[in-house]
Amino acid sequence: MALLRDDEETKVREWFAELERPVELVVAVGPEETPRAGAREVDFGGEMIRLCDGLAELGERVTCRVEHEPDGFPRFPAVSIRPRGRDMGVRYDGLPWGYELGSLVGAVVEAGREEPSLRPESLAALEELDRDLAVDVFVTPT
Amino acid sequence: VLLAYRCAFASERVKATAIEANEFPQLSQELGVWAVPRVVVDGEPRWDGTVPEAEFLRRILAA
Repeated sequence: MALLRDDEETKVREWFAELERPVELVVAVGPEETPRAGAREVDFGGEMIRLCDGLAELGERVTCRVEHEPDGFPRFPAVSIRPRGRDMGVRYDGLPWGYELGSLVGAVVEAGREEPSLRPESLAALEELDRDLAVDVFVTPT
Repeated sequence: VLLAYRCAFASERVKATAIEANEFPQLSQELGVWAVPRVVVDGEPRWDGTVPEAEFLRRILAA
């Protein structure tokens, strides 16, 4: 099954063609938690690899590699989105399917920018941050 | 999700993770995730739903 409809794929190719720097997707696979009923038959790790490989095919500057049970990943599968291969703490834990595939595509586009797309006042506020912050956003595919 | 990602790409201090709630039911239950998006800062549930950029920054920095 295709990841995206034809029109969506065309759009993503256009976005990925405009990336200003390379973006690496590091897929981490390992033991998976038993998901809620109805999803047991899904090979989440395999699907994650297929999905990220598929995205990497849509842009020359997007690459994908797979690691098995790497350190620092509390949940599997997961994908780390890395501008120029640098881990900046941006991840998606679980399979970003359906509507949430847009979040992963958006992360790649953002990672591919040389300059952040936040407003100047937001950047100024972040510059004053004097401690580490871990922001987790729980989502569902629908 | 994208706002959290933008903050992480913009600041060395911020890490951002999207977590698929159905795939990690134990963690979701521990954090009382019944509505999405639910935003958790430093392990503490903060709010549900989407907010504009300025408000998002205000809330995570105040956490």
